[in-house]
Amino acid sequence: MGQDVEKRPVEVVPPSVLSQLKGVIASIEKGVLNKEMRLMARANRQMFAVRRQLKTSTVSAIMKHALPAGSDALARLSPFVAALEKSEKDMDVDSPAITGQSHGSQKQSVLPEVEIFCYLLVTIFLIDQKKLKEAKACSTAAVKRLQQLNRRTLDFLAARVFYYYSYSHEITDSLADIRGTLLALHQTATLRHDELGQETLLNLLLRNYLHYNLYDHAEKLRSKTQRSDSHSNQQLCRYLFYLGKIRTIQLEYTDAKECLLQAGRKAPASARGFRIQCTKWAVIVRLLLGEIPERTTFMQPGMRKALRPYFELTNAVRIGDLELFRHVAEKSSSVFTADKCHNLIVRLRHNVIRTGLRNISIAYSRISLTDVAKKLHLDSATPVDDAESIVTKAIRDGGIDASVDHSNGWMQSKETGDVYSTQEPQQAFHSRIAFCLNIHNEAVQALRFPPDAHKKELESAEKRRERQQQEQELAKHIAEEDDDEF
Amino acid sequence: MTVVSTASGLLAMLQESHPTLKLHALKNLNVLVDNFWPEISTNISAIESLYEDDTFYERQLAALVASKVFYYLGELNDSLTYALGAGPLFDVSEDTEYVQTLVTKCVDEYILLSVKAAESNESEKTALDPRLVAIVERMLDKCMQDGKFQQAVGVALECRRLDKLEESIIRSENASAMLSYCLRLSQTFVSRREFRHEVLRLLVKSYQGLQQPDYLSICQCLMFLDEPADVAAILDKLLKGDKSEALLAYQIAFDLFENEYQKFLLNVRDLLPESTSASSSAPLSVTNGGLIQGTRGNGISAMTDGGPTAMDSDLTEPLLGSYAAEESADVSAPPVEERTSYTERLTKLKGILSGETPISLTLQFLYSHNRSDLLILKTIKQSVEMRNSVCHSATIYSNALMHAGTTVDTFLRENLDWLKRATNWAKFSATAGLGVIHRGHHQQGRSLMAPYLPQNGGTGGGSPYSEGGALYALGLIHANHGEGIKQFLLESLRNTSNEVIQHGACLGLGLAALGTADEEIYEDVKNVLYTDSAVAGEAAGIAMGLLMVGTASEKATEMLAYAHDTQHEKIIRGLALGIALVVYGREEEADTLIEQMTRDQDPILRYGGMYALAMAYRGTANNSAIRRLLHFAVSDVSDDVRRTAVLALGFVLCSEPEQTPRIVSLLSESYNAHVRYGAAMAVGISCAGSGSSEAISLLEPLTSDAVDFVRQGALIAMAMVLLQTTEAREPRVATFRRQLEKIINDKHEETMSKMGAILAQGILDAGGRNVAIMLQSRTGHDRVTAVVGMAVFSQFWYWYPLIYFISLSFAPTAFIGLNEELRMPKFNFVSETKPSLFGYPPSVAPPAATSAVKLPTAVLSTSNRAKVRGAKREAEAKASKATGHEAGAGSSSSKAEGLVDGDKDSTHAAKDENAMDVDGGTQKKAVVVEPSSEVLSNPARVVPAQEKFIKFREDSRYAPLKLKRAPSGFVMLRDLTPSEPVELVSTDTPLSAGGAGTAHANTNATAIAVEDNEPPPPEPFEYVP
Repeated sequence: MGQDVEKRPVEVVPPSVLSQLKGVIASIEKGVLNKEMRLMARANRQMFAVRRQLKTSTVSAIMKHALPAGSDALARLSPFVAALEKSEKDMDVDSPAITGQSHGSQKQSVLPEVEIFCYLLVTIFLIDQKKLKEAKACSTAAVKRLQQLNRRTLDFLAARVFYYYSYSHEITDSLADIRGTLLALHQTATLRHDELGQETLLNLLLRNYLHYNLYDHAEKLRSKTQRSDSHSNQQLCRYLFYLGKIRTIQLEYTDAKECLLQAGRKAPASARGFRIQCTKWAVIVRLLLGEIPERTTFMQPGMRKALRPYFELTNAVRIGDLELFRHVAEKSSSVFTADKCHNLIVRLRHNVIRTGLRNISIAYSRISLTDVAKKLHLDSATPVDDAESIVTKAIRDGGIDASVDHSNGWMQSKETGDVYSTQEPQQAFHSRIAFCLNIHNEAVQALRFPPDAHKKELESAEKRRERQQQEQELAKHIAEEDDDEF
Repeated sequence: MTVVSTASGLLAMLQESHPTLKLHALKNLNVLVDNFWPEISTNISAIESLYEDDTFYERQLAALVASKVFYYLGELNDSLTYALGAGPLFDVSEDTEYVQTLVTKCVDEYILLSVKAAESNESEKTALDPRLVAIVERMLDKCMQDGKFQQAVGVALECRRLDKLEESIIRSENASAMLSYCLRLSQTFVSRREFRHEVLRLLVKSYQGLQQPDYLSICQCLMFLDEPADVAAILDKLLKGDKSEALLAYQIAFDLFENEYQKFLLNVRDLLPESTSASSSAPLSVTNGGLIQGTRGNGISAMTDGGPTAMDSDLTEPLLGSYAAEESADVSAPPVEERTSYTERLTKLKGILSGETPISLTLQFLYSHNRSDLLILKTIKQSVEMRNSVCHSATIYSNALMHAGTTVDTFLRENLDWLKRATNWAKFSATAGLGVIHRGHHQQGRSLMAPYLPQNGGTGGGSPYSEGGALYALGLIHANHGEGIKQFLLESLRNTSNEVIQHGACLGLGLAALGTADEEIYEDVKNVLYTDSAVAGEAAGIAMGLLMVGTASEKATEMLAYAHDTQHEKIIRGLALGIALVVYGREEEADTLIEQMTRDQDPILRYGGMYALAMAYRGTANNSAIRRLLHFAVSDVSDDVRRTAVLALGFVLCSEPEQTPRIVSLLSESYNAHVRYGAAMAVGISCAGSGSSEAISLLEPLTSDAVDFVRQGALIAMAMVLLQTTEAREPRVATFRRQLEKIINDKHEETMSKMGAILAQGILDAGGRNVAIMLQSRTGHDRVTAVVGMAVFSQFWYWYPLIYFISLSFAPTAFIGLNEELRMPKFNFVSETKPSLFGYPPSVAPPAATSAVKLPTAVLSTSNRAKVRGAKREAEAKASKATGHEAGAGSSSSKAEGLVDGDKDSTHAAKDENAMDVDGGTQKKAVVVEPSSEVLSNPARVVPAQEKFIKFREDSRYAPLKLKRAPSGFVMLRDLTPSEPVELVSTDTPLSAGGAGTAHANTNATAIAVEDNEPPPPEPFEYVP
C-alpha cells in the first residue's frame, strides 16, 4: 500500500509549509539527541503554526520524507491520507499533476519520536478535515504504538497524542470506552515518572468522568493520585478548572471559586472558549457564595454575548427578585443545560431569597413578616409561615443579623456595627497582599535561565582584574588629591 | 458481562456477613480493580481486614486485591507486603506492569535487607521473608536461563549472595570472561571491604577451578587479599614448570610490582624458597645494565629448547597445556641443569619482586629516551627575577620534575653560580632535587649524594640545609625500595641533633621505608617527634605516617594524642597527615578515627580528617565518603578544611575521573577562593593525564581567576591533566603552553601564580616527557606510593620541599619487552595511528629575538648552532670542572654518548622529521603527509591512550605472552624462533654518576636536532655584474 502511494503523482507543495514541517522534524531529532525537552515543545508550537495550512499533499509528502519506505508506520498511516487524497481529487480536478520528489526517505531506521510525530500530525489533520472515525482509528493506533515504547524523550509528544486520542473519542461520543485505557496509561506514566503524561492523562480522565457527570469517581481518582508540581501551564489550567467544577458540585464553594478564578487567570488569552467556561462557572460559584461579580466581568471583549444569560441571572440575584430570577432561569434554561450547570441554578434560588432578605434587613430596622413575604414574592399558601422559616434559617446561617419576634410577627434587625472597627479590612488587605506575593513567586518560578549564562561573566575575569587595578589607581589618585588639599 | 459504571455495589457486598458473598465481591473486584481502584481504595480497610481474618478461607485473594490497590495508590511497600501474602496467586511470570514493578521492588527490597543484615551484627540479624527470597531466587534463575549472566552476577553481588554468584559464574559458557567481569565489578561496585574480600576469595577459588587457571588474575586477587604465601606458592610452581610458565611467573611478578605494594612484595620474596648458590650476581648484572655481548646471547639461545609453534592462539593457556605434555615426555633433560635453571629463575624472580630489575630497566628507559627541553628551563631562568627566591626555587623544582628519574642534571651543572643563590631551605630543596632527578638510581645514589651528606665526624663543613636535603634526596632515590639505605638514614638521624638534618632524615626514612611498619625506625622517628621541635616534628609526623601506610595500627591514636598535646601547628599538621596515611585504604575500618578527627575542635585536625577520608577511601568513589566531603566543603568554618575537603574528592574519585568535573563544577564557582582552589586540585588529581575535555573546560576559567593562589592551583592542575597530551589530541595544550609562557614572562604577575606556572611547566614536561601521573595501576589497583606521594605533594601549600613527593606518582609510560633472560631483545611493533597524536611536544623554538629577515630560519639555525657549540664547550668545561670537583664521583664514558645517537636516530626518525617540519615550515613548500602508523622498537614510549592502537606484527619473532594484557609496562615476550641468535637492544645506562658523560651526551643530542634544521643551500644563480 505504501508503495502505491509513493507512485502517485503529488501536487506542488507550498514550500513554506513543507519546509517548516521538515524543520519541525529536524528540531525533534535535535531535541532527542540533546535530550532537550524545550526543543520538543518548540517543535510542537511550530507545528501548530502551520496547522491551518495543512493539505493532504503536504501531509503525505512529509510522511514520505520522515518515514522510511516500507516501514510499519508508513503502511499504517498512508491509507488514511490516501483516502483523503482520493476524495480531494474527485472534487478538485484542476490540480496540476506534477511528478517528482516522491522518492522515499533513505533513512532505514527512524526515531520513534518522529514516527509518533507523524501519527500526531495525521490525527490532527484528520480531525481538522472532520474525518472523525479515521482520526479515532489513527489515534488509537498511535496509542497502541506508544504503549510499546518507553523513552523519556517521547513524553512530550505522547502527551499530545493522548490528548487527541481522548478528543477524537469525545467528539464521536465514545469516551466511556477508553476510560480503561486511559487509566492504564496513567498508571504507566506514574511508574515511569513521566510527569507531563501523568498530568495530561489525569486531566483527560477527569474530563472523561465529568463528561458523564461522575463527580464522585472523579474526586476519588483525583484525591488518590500523587501529583507533582505542574509542568505545563495548560494542563494546570485544565486541572484547576476540573477541580473547581468538582468542588462546586461538592458544595465547597470557597475552594471552587479560587480554583476557577485561578484557571481563568492562568489560561492563555487565545483560549477564549475555555476562559468563557471558567468565567461562567466562576460567576455561578460567586453567586452561590453570596457575592456579586463586577459588571466588568461580563463586559470582557469577546465574551459579552456568551455571558449574557449569566449577566441577567446575576442581576436577578443582585436585586433579590425571585420573580425575575425564575424568568431568567426559564428563558435561558437551554444554555444552562448545555453548560451542565442547571442544578446549580436551582441551588441559586435560595441565594436569591437570602439576598432579598438581606436587602430588606438593611433597609428596615423592623418589618412585619407579611411584608417580607410580599417583598420576596412568596406565592405559596402560607406566605407568612414560609417567610418566618426563611428568615430564621437566614439568621441561623448568619446571612442576616436580626431576630424574629414571633408573637408580634415581625423581624427586628440589629444595628450594623462599624466594619472598620473590626478585623475585616485587615483580613481583606492581607488576602490581597498574599495574593500578590503568590503571583510574584509563581512568576519567579516560571522564569527560565539559560544554562551556563553566568559563565560568560567569569570569562571576563581578566578585564575585571584590569578594572580593579584602575579603581585602585583612581583611589590612590583621589587620596593624593585629598592630601594636596590639606 | 455488562459494563459496570461503579464498584460501589461490590464494595457494599464486602460488608455482608456471608463469606460466599464476600468471596463473590472479591473475585469481581479483582477483575475490576484496574478501572475502579480509586473507588475501591476508599474501602481498602475492609479488604485488609478480610485478609487478616483467619476464618476467611480466601484470604490470599483479599491480599492480592489489596496489593493491587496499593500498587495503584503508589504505596509499593504495602503492595509488596500484600503481594507476598497473596502467595501463589501472585504470579511472577505474568507480563503486566503490576507484576514487573513489584518484582523489581522485590529485588530492591531484598538487596536492601540483605545488605543491612550483612552489615549489622549477628545478634541483630532479622530473618528474611522466605517468600521474598523465593521470588528473588526465581528471578535469578530466570536470568541465568535466558543467558543474561552479567545481570545475574550483578544482582547476586548486590544481594551479597555468594552462592548465586558462584552458580552464575559456573553456569555461564564463558567462565573466564565472567570472572574478569566479576573482578572488575568487585573493584568498582562493591563498596564494603570485607564483602569485597569474600568475593575475591570466591573468585580465586573459581579461577583455580578452571581448566587453565588464569594465574595472572589469581595473583592479582591474592594481592588484594594480602596473601603472599599463596602467591609465593603459585610463583614457585610456575618456576618449576617449563619455560613459558617461567615467563608467566615473571610477568606476574612484574604486574605485582606495578602495584607498588612494597610490604606484600617483600613478603612474597621472603616466602619463596632460598636460592642455593650465591647467584645474587645475576640480577645485579642485569641491573648494572652492562652492554650485552652477542656471544652471551648465543649461549642463552642454545640453552632454550623448542619453542611453541601455534602462533594464532589468543591465550597461552592452551599452549601451556600442550607444553606440559611435551615436557613430561621429554625426560631426557638432565636434572642437574633443571636444578640450576630453577635457581637462576628464582634469583631473577626475586630480582623482579624486590624491584631491582624493573627499577633499573625503567631508569635505563627514562635515561635513553629523555627528551626534555632545556630551552624551556633556560627561558624560565632568564625571565625569573633574581631577587625572587620563590620563583628561583620554583625553577629548581621545575627542573627536578622535568628530569625526574632521567639522571640528567645538566641544567644544574650548567648553572652552578645561579644555583648558589639558594640559601637555607632553598638550599635544602635544591639538594633534594637531585634525589628526584636520580630517582631509582639505587647503585650510585649514595655516591652521588656523598659530597652533600653529613660526614660521620658530625662536624662536616657542609651546611645543615644541604645535608638535610641530601638525606631527603636519598629517600627520594630509594622511595619505596629502601632496603639498602634504611640503615644509613637511620644512623644519620641518630647522629644529629640539628633539626634541619632531622627533618631531611625523617622524610628520607619515611620514603625509603614506606609502608614497611618497621618498629625500630618508628621508635627513632618518634623520639624526634617528642623533642617537640616544630621543623623536625612536622617531618617526623609525616614520616610516621609514611612508615605505617595502610596498617591502621594503634599508633594512630598515639599520634592523635600527641597532636592534642603539642603547641606547634606544624607538628599537628604533620601528625594529622601522618594519621591520614596510616588509615590508607582501610575504608569503613577507619570511620571511627575519621569521625574523631572531623569533630575535633582544632581545624588542623579536621583538616587531617579530610585527608584521612581521602586516603581511606582513595579510588573507591564511595558515596558516603563523597557526601561527607561535600558536606565539609560547604559547611566547615575553616577555609583550610574546606579547601582540603574539596581536594580530597579528587582522591576518592580518582578511579572515576570522568565524574570529578561534574561533581566539583559548582564548587569551582564558589565565592570562596579556597574552595575554588580545592576544586581545581581535585580535578587535577583525579583527571591527571586524562586530557579530559570537561576537566580542561572547568580549569580554564580558573587559570585566570581573580585570586592568585587559585590561579596557581589551576595552572598546576591543568598541567597534571594535560600531562603527555599532544596538541593533535587536544588543541588547548598549545594555548596552555603559551599562557604559561606569558605568565612567567609577565612582570606584573603575582608571585604565587608565577610559581604555579613554573611548576606547571615542570609537571607538563615531567620525567623527560616519558612519565605520566598514574594513581592506579593498569590492573585497576591503586598504586600506594603514587597516591601517598600525591597526598603529601598537595601539602606544598604549607611547605614547598614537599613538592618533590609528586615524583612518586610518576610512572614511566613505556613498553619494555623482555625475554626469559629479562633482557630486551630487538623487536618492532606498530602503533596504528598518526605519530603526532601521541608524540612528544615539538621542541621550543629558540627565542626569535632578532628582527624578521628574509631567511629567518637560516639565520636562526646558524646562530643557534653557534650558540649550542658555545654552550657545549662551556658545558664540557664546566662538567670537567664538576667532575674534578667531586673527586671520583664520576668517570666519563664516551661509549654511552655514541649509543645515544644511534638510538635516537632509529627510534625517533619520524618525529625528528616532524619537529623539523614545524621549524622549517616557512621554507618547505610541499606539505609532508603524515603517515598513518608508526613503527616502534623495544623499548618504546607508549602513552596510556595509545595502548589501544598498538599492534604486534604477525611475522615478528617475538610475541607478548599475554595478548589480552595492555601493551605497556613490562611485557614478557615469547620467542617464536628460539634457535636463532638473540639480538639484544644495546643499552646505554647512566653508568657514570651523572657527570660529564650525561651532560655531554645531552648537548650532543641537541646539537644533532639543530643540525637537522639546517636550511638548504641557496638556489644557483647567475652572477650579473
